[in-house]
Amino acid sequence: MKLLVTGLSHKTAPVHLREKLAVSESALPDALHELQNLGATEAIILSTCNRVEIALSAPDHAVPGAIMDRFLTGWQGSANAFESHLYRLEAREAIQHMFRVAASLDSMVVGEPQILGQLKTAYSIAKSEGSVGGLLETVMTRAFSVAKRVRTETGIGQMAVSVSYAAVELARKIFGSLKGHSVMIIGSGKMGELAAKHLHRSGANRIFVTNRTRERAEQMAAVFSGTAVDYTRFASILPEIDIVIASSGAPHYILGREEMQRVIAARKNKPMFLIDIAVPRNIDPAVNDVEGVFLYDVDDLEGVVNSNIRERSKQAEQAEAIVVEEVERMMSRLKLDEVTPTIISLQEQLENIRASEVVRSMRKMPNLATEQQQQVKAQIEALTKSIVNKIAHGPISELRRNAGDPEGVQVIDAIRKVFHL
Amino acid sequence: MGESSLIWLRVAAGLYSLGLLDAIITVLRRRESLFRPALGAFGIGALFHLVSIVEQGLVQNHFPANDIFETMSLCAWVVTVAFLAIYWRYKAESLSVFVFPLVFVLTLVAALRNPVSRWQSEAVRNTWLTIHIVLALLAYAALLFTAVAAVVYLLQEKQLKKKQTRSFYRLFPPLGMLDELISRSLGAGFALITTSIIIGIVWSYIEYGTSWIDNSLITTSFVTWGIYLALVFFRVGAGWRGRKAAILAIVALCCSAITWIAHLRLESRFVQ
Repeated sequence: MKLLVTGLSHKTAPVHLREKLAVSESALPDALHELQNLGATEAIILSTCNRVEIALSAPDHAVPGAIMDRFLTGWQGSANAFESHLYRLEAREAIQHMFRVAASLDSMVVGEPQILGQLKTAYSIAKSEGSVGGLLETVMTRAFSVAKRVRTETGIGQMAVSVSYAAVELARKIFGSLKGHSVMIIGSGKMGELAAKHLHRSGANRIFVTNRTRERAEQMAAVFSGTAVDYTRFASILPEIDIVIASSGAPHYILGREEMQRVIAARKNKPMFLIDIAVPRNIDPAVNDVEGVFLYDVDDLEGVVNSNIRERSKQAEQAEAIVVEEVERMMSRLKLDEVTPTIISLQEQLENIRASEVVRSMRKMPNLATEQQQQVKAQIEALTKSIVNKIAHGPISELRRNAGDPEGVQVIDAIRKVFHL
Repeated sequence: MGESSLIWLRVAAGLYSLGLLDAIITVLRRRESLFRPALGAFGIGALFHLVSIVEQGLVQNHFPANDIFETMSLCAWVVTVAFLAIYWRYKAESLSVFVFPLVFVLTLVAALRNPVSRWQSEAVRNTWLTIHIVLALLAYAALLFTAVAAVVYLLQEKQLKKKQTRSFYRLFPPLGMLDELISRSLGAGFALITTSIIIGIVWSYIEYGTSWIDNSLITTSFVTWGIYLALVFFRVGAGWRGRKAAILAIVALCCSAITWIAHLRLESRFVQ
């Protein structure tokens, strides 16, 4: 059985080419059937904004590349438009690629978790269309396990790599669960709104919005089912607030050290997280000196992101090692799978010969008493089994050794011929 | 001491015990569910306490601050009146976490001045002592957790303040979780050590009669309990976190260790 992965990704093709090859979810069943009609035994299509990939398995006598070309020509008019951008990976390389994609090592943001979900969706569509159920399924299900192992054994997906997620990560580091925590959004900057959205999604469900323009505050509050607060009195409710996102266009500091000292005393020193993503900054940097207050501006958040990216690339090295190990394991398993039918039929062939010869020999000794007959039979059984095992040992070892080796095909053929398998 | 004076004092101690209960519930559950009834009981207790002090003065014909028991009684009453006055003026409820247990323990000590008959059975004596020791050890364990969590809190806070994101900082739990752990272990430890100390006081009183108060072991235990009480007050009442709370927790832990060592050295003399 042969394996082929062909596709375009963010690394090899610009978006205007990727979108040409993209297969919508509604068109996936037709595309999968088309591939099978063209000679593929199995097929899976993964179509996301960052990659379009087709994985197929085909019988040994088929040429998977030709099946793919015919499919691309029929499906998209011509394969030539993509040819220089397409990657075609076979056998081991195909397996390694699928493992890397599932483990999010080939993603634009290494370690992002969405790709695994997208791959699982592609697999379940193929499964429901009956286009997997052999080698490709084995590799794909293994890829899911590899992805899980990478996530468990490395911290690749744990660190935020965008400013707004970094804010959520820090908030979690301060408060633990964000459920029930309150957020105050000052101003209407886009970044502030995005950070608030992430915090809201992470459980912070008491959102207050303040803005010089009351209407704008009310609009944004409606988005989060929150409360609009009058700009002149927002400071008075700060003691109730756990997280402040400042992103107003004010040309000066709107929160100073003394004010925050009062706020934190009113909170009985309960920690407060201030995110200042306004430029020019809205919060006096000296506020960070107040005990219990954690102030992060845009540069601080960028610093966290950069540090996380560095950490992710360290983790990615570990993840690559896991993938290599898993590919080796998969290859050994596939090799054995390849020669297992030959080994079984060899063992059956020899056992049949042995059993019939034992019966024949026993027929030649009709005069023995029942007890003697049983003793003799047991001795002959033991002797013949020992001979057969010793004869089989050589060819079985050779079969295992040559499994998966292109030059070993001749050895395997020779053994099959010699033993009439 | 006059018998009726002692009875009034014990009634006052009984009423003050509601305050202790309120303080323990406040520390454990972080809400003041019993504060109003406890405050009422405290006011009535102060009246009985005053009657006791006046009667003691009349019976003895001197100002009732002649020995440690009388002094403690007077001191407890002064603290009670001062607290009630402060509460009336400033509504400073948070002080109750400190004042209620302190007044109760001082009054309890003052009320244990007339010797009673010795233990009826050796088994009761030993069980009483065992409960005291087990509760104290559990309280020390809770304090150890508090101190460790406070130190980790301090480190985590420092990391977040300095905006450092070294990989080991990821291993620390969030500040919120540490804060919760500190509150819970401190609350549990306070309830345990207070119960343990009350049992210990009563045990010593029955064991040694009036001379129990002179025991250095008792003094060390009181100091430890006092520090624990201060820790609870600064934590619950004043909301101390971070560096100050960590230092206080470590001091309390060291004092507990000293008390424990003192107990170990004197144990052979106690458990005969």
